[in-house]
Amino acid sequence: MFLEISNIKKSFGEGESKTEVLKGIDVGIEKGEICVLLGPSGSGKSTLLNIIGGIDQADSGYISINGEKTADMNEKTLTLYRRKHLGYIFQMYNLIPNLNIKENIEVGAYLSDNPLDVDELLHTLGLYEHRHKLPNQLSGGQQQRTAIGRAIVKNPDILLCDEPTGALDYNTSKEILKLIEEVNQKYGNTVVMVTHNDAIKDMADRVIKLRDGMIRKNYVNETKTPAVELDW
Amino acid sequence: MRNPLIKRLPRELKSEFGKYLVIFLFFIMVIGFVSGFLVTSASLQSEFHETFETYNIEHGNFELFYEADEALIETLEKEDVTLYENFYIEKDTKDFESTLRMFKKRGDVNRECVLEGELPTKQGEIAIDRVYAQNNGVAIGDTLKVGFKELKVTGYVALPDYSTMLSSPSDMMFDANMFGVGIVTEETFDNFGKGGFHYSYSWKYDEEPKDDAEAKNLSEEFLEMLAEHAMVVEYIPEYANMAIHFAGNDLGNDYMVIMVFLYIVVAIIAFIFAITTNNTIAKEATVIGTLRASGYSKGELLRHYMTMPVLVTLFSALIGNVLGYTYFRTVAEDMYLASYSLTRYDVLWNADAFVKTTVVPVILMVVINYVILAYKLRLSPLRFIRRDLSTRQKKKAIRLNTKIGIMQRFRMRIIFQNMPNYIMIFVGIFFANIILLLGIAFPSLLHKYEDDITDNMICDYQYILKAPADTEVEDAEQYCAGSLTYVAESGQEEDATLFGIIPDSQYIDIELENDNVYISDAFSEKYHIAEGDTIELKEFGGKTYRFHVDGIYHYPSSLAVFMSKEYFNKTFDYEEDYYSGYFSNTEIDDIDEMYIATQITVSDMTKTSRQLIDSMGSMMDMLFLFGVVMFMLIIYLLSKIIIEKNAQSISMTKILGYTNGEIGGLYIMSTTIVVILSMLVTLPLVDKLMEYACKIMLSTFSGWFPYYVPSYAYIAVVAAGILSYAVIAFIQFRKVKKVPMDMALKNVE
Repeated sequence: MFLEISNIKKSFGEGESKTEVLKGIDVGIEKGEICVLLGPSGSGKSTLLNIIGGIDQADSGYISINGEKTADMNEKTLTLYRRKHLGYIFQMYNLIPNLNIKENIEVGAYLSDNPLDVDELLHTLGLYEHRHKLPNQLSGGQQQRTAIGRAIVKNPDILLCDEPTGALDYNTSKEILKLIEEVNQKYGNTVVMVTHNDAIKDMADRVIKLRDGMIRKNYVNETKTPAVELDW
Repeated sequence: MRNPLIKRLPRELKSEFGKYLVIFLFFIMVIGFVSGFLVTSASLQSEFHETFETYNIEHGNFELFYEADEALIETLEKEDVTLYENFYIEKDTKDFESTLRMFKKRGDVNRECVLEGELPTKQGEIAIDRVYAQNNGVAIGDTLKVGFKELKVTGYVALPDYSTMLSSPSDMMFDANMFGVGIVTEETFDNFGKGGFHYSYSWKYDEEPKDDAEAKNLSEEFLEMLAEHAMVVEYIPEYANMAIHFAGNDLGNDYMVIMVFLYIVVAIIAFIFAITTNNTIAKEATVIGTLRASGYSKGELLRHYMTMPVLVTLFSALIGNVLGYTYFRTVAEDMYLASYSLTRYDVLWNADAFVKTTVVPVILMVVINYVILAYKLRLSPLRFIRRDLSTRQKKKAIRLNTKIGIMQRFRMRIIFQNMPNYIMIFVGIFFANIILLLGIAFPSLLHKYEDDITDNMICDYQYILKAPADTEVEDAEQYCAGSLTYVAESGQEEDATLFGIIPDSQYIDIELENDNVYISDAFSEKYHIAEGDTIELKEFGGKTYRFHVDGIYHYPSSLAVFMSKEYFNKTFDYEEDYYSGYFSNTEIDDIDEMYIATQITVSDMTKTSRQLIDSMGSMMDMLFLFGVVMFMLIIYLLSKIIIEKNAQSISMTKILGYTNGEIGGLYIMSTTIVVILSMLVTLPLVDKLMEYACKIMLSTFSGWFPYYVPSYAYIAVVAAGILSYAVIAFIQFRKVKKVPMDMALKNVE
């Protein structure tokens, strides 16, 4: 198993206000899969994603990528782990506002020993003519494409997407999902995507449904639908 | 109902306690210091102006070669003046190296002010000047060896005609270490005999001159008359007598510099506050938009955001003023009274100082913050809700050459993004560097001057004789000396010393032929006189002499003119073999003391620098410390804003996998680059400014010393800057490390 999630538990708060967000998650994801973590608000899907990404720490259990356990890593190794293996895409893009589009992608490229060609990627993302603009001069969809560019330019093993279409309209959302699908096909990255949009599960290889911090369903989608055909 | 936003203020204070505390303490320190200075200098100045009447200060004094007889006094007093004997005896002290000028108890003019103890009543007693006593560690009750006599010190006095310890009008700087004045009884005075005796007279006009112009006319007429009837050794009208006026002028001089300094500091801090608040407004944009949309006016929000800076300024100014009248007043008093022999004074309430140190800083704070924040808050509520705060950002980003590495471009973008902060850092460093360079360079400038003089002394023992007297000392070399007045184009008058030297002199290395004349480089530099120019020198009574300058001689201490002894005697109608002094490297001990008018030693020549080091040395240390504090404060506050403003991006770069070192390399290195560049750019500017300011300041003194800053002073300023910055960078790096990664997860863009 490429990505192994074993008995992950996580709670917030103390005493009476203690809330168990993840109550023992066990799941394995194969290399190159698109995995959709589906669930309503408060189900623990973003927390799980953050633990996979090494941004948050589990109370117990472990995450293992290619046999490397994140729980055993100190801050320095964890930084290196994120640097080498992970690409992150957020709902609110989180681009660096004072860098232009190309520079935002180059910030990602800098971290890799073997990055993708930035100009080629800009063409792929349809951003080449906007490369000298600042993020706030672009639409939400263009900003999200930039964020995807920044995440994939270092050619990470795993692409973590936290509600990547949460702030976008229907058409733009589909464009972004199509792009993620293309990236997955072209570069073979493993994609873990958090969403509350049930329709998105149809483009996934694996679907994990979460509710109240527990896995309700974990199945391989045998009838994948291309992103462009999704409808909601 | 009170505006509920007020409740946010204590919370704001709590959350930014460190920032407000450092600014609060800094303001207290600056305002307290300035207030103390203003209160003290105004009180001293007020007292100083009263001394003219209280102590009946003379309208001038002169010294004659011989005692004036009744007939001469009668003739002179026909000019509507009254003359007063003000004879004095000058003797060297034996316990420490100094010259003490002793007067009889004063009668009608220049009355003494007893500061502590009492005036002498018996033979063998003396009351001496307070500053001179303190500088030389003489306590009341001590016995002082003066000449061959022992005198018991009965008290400390201040003589109003010696509020600044200048021994002669041609002195460049006062020296209350090596020169002092004292009062003895008539009996003691008479017992000293004629060695070191000076026939000095003070005069008062029967009618007070209306102004300096009238005083000048009267004094010129009186001098003309005096020169006709007597041999005048020294002549100085009151309006030109720096021993009387220098302290008063200096008390006024400091005022402008200190006020400008205060307002610059307040303006810098006001800009820092405005930049900080701008950042807070950006952070709270959605809240502001919502409040505006709910009906809060722009004015209400503006007042809210201005409250803390104004309150901090107001409270620190009030506390600063309290300290100004208490602690800092004594600091300022110590500094003034360490230099000047001022009479007793009372501390006066100074409404003007209060306005200038409290009301004006608060107004400055209000105006600067109002202008900047009103501009920021002018946007519509919707734009605040959308966080669309800057119109500038809509413009295209500056293109940077993509051949430059991404990390360098990233740093450049940070610099562009934070330009207002970095401009303020530049301005702050500029002023901090002025203070730092002054603190470091001034003492070295004086030491260099001292070394220069010591290295370029004509000889170890230079004697000026009252009348020619022979000596058996082998290396003694005769010379002639005189003093004439140089009138600059600006109208400034200054005495120059003229030397007539023998051919092949072993002490002055100039080949002088016939009517060749050289001037000292101090003379040349101060009045911009070059080789080939002609100078005009005037003597008491108005006769003028013109000399063609054939060369410049390296003699840095004073204004001097060198010519051959033969030419000197010819020019001033002396016998061919006339001389008026000796240069010698061996002490001359075979000439009767009564023939010796003055002996010039190294310490005489270096008294300027010594006095300045004494009176300003501690101030320079304080200045240096203040410069460091100001430097650190400005950089800390502004770089803190940069880190806070970019916390979201810092958090994101952490998620991407950047190490803390790399992030520090971006956000702290940008500030480092600006700090280093600012230091490198401002230092030459500061140097030029200081040179200009020093030249103006030095031109008001008699004599000259060249502007000089040793290279180590620049290195020290840069080192002080780098060390101070290193502390700040360390603090900011810790801040960067503490930025949490989940900050980027909050849906704030």
